[in-house]
Amino acid sequence: MLSDCLLIVFISICTALLGEGLTWVLVYRTEKYKKLKAEVEKQSKKLEKKKESGESSDRNQKKKIERQEEKLKNNNRDLSFVKMKSMFAIGFAFTALLSMFNSIFDGRVVAKLPFTPISLLQGISHRNLGGDDYTHCSFIFLYILCTMSIRQNIQKILGLSPSRAASKQGGGLFSPPTQLTK
Amino acid sequence: MKAATKMVKTGEKSQNGSLIKASLNKALSAEAEWDDKDEFLDVIYWMRQILGLILGIVWGLIPLKGIIGLVLFLAVNVGIVYFYYNSFQKIDDEEYGGPSEILKEGLMTSFSTFVVAWILLYSALHTDL
Repeated sequence: MLSDCLLIVFISICTALLGEGLTWVLVYRTEKYKKLKAEVEKQSKKLEKKKESGESSDRNQKKKIERQEEKLKNNNRDLSFVKMKSMFAIGFAFTALLSMFNSIFDGRVVAKLPFTPISLLQGISHRNLGGDDYTHCSFIFLYILCTMSIRQNIQKILGLSPSRAASKQGGGLFSPPTQLTK
Repeated sequence: MKAATKMVKTGEKSQNGSLIKASLNKALSAEAEWDDKDEFLDVIYWMRQILGLILGIVWGLIPLKGIIGLVLFLAVNVGIVYFYYNSFQKIDDEEYGGPSEILKEGLMTSFSTFVVAWILLYSALHTDL
């Protein structure tokens, strides 16, 4: 059982690296992305500073900030659009990979959970497993957990995660890349 | 040309290394000055990841079971981070947009790291599947 667990951790490290590598080839290294990202970061920081420093009721100031916010939003949208195309490609590739792993681990209990998941999660944690013991863990549950932790950390180490200022100002549009498991 | 690029690259590397060292020194000394907010949040982030891994291993070795393990992890994790920035570093959390901004930095990732470590050790040591 331990070998299964370790294999799953290894698989998720590999897929995370592969995913980041593919995104780098398709997105991160392109001039358009670099330019847009630098712009968004600069604007976000500027906007944050402005918002912090002047809480004046000056109308002109407010209008200026609003205009900048609008510009930032547009840039953010462009940025997500650039990313989206490659995300789709990678999404398809990984769905295929995942279904392959799924069939390899089909019906196999890969680990025993030290807790009973809430009923909402039992569909995932007990997927394709027989029996009523809900502490039995399926491949997909462990894989999702591993990916959540490993992918984020790899992005952080490689410096590929979006900056805090940008994600704070950009709201929901500028979200980190979607998880592989979707 | 190639030699020049190489030199720049090694320069970058050593610069990165010294930056990490400087951040580590700051993180370990009480009431350090944090000019860059991101630097402090990064320290919190990585501290959390290490904490998640260590707690996961300890919970797996004991072994703790059930919802109490999850709740205890959250309490210890948030508690340590709160103590660290409030009492050790004496940071004004308003500068960062309230205590929740610091307390939730990297929490989800740390949680998943913890759960993976917990499950792995628990399954390996205390079950005979």
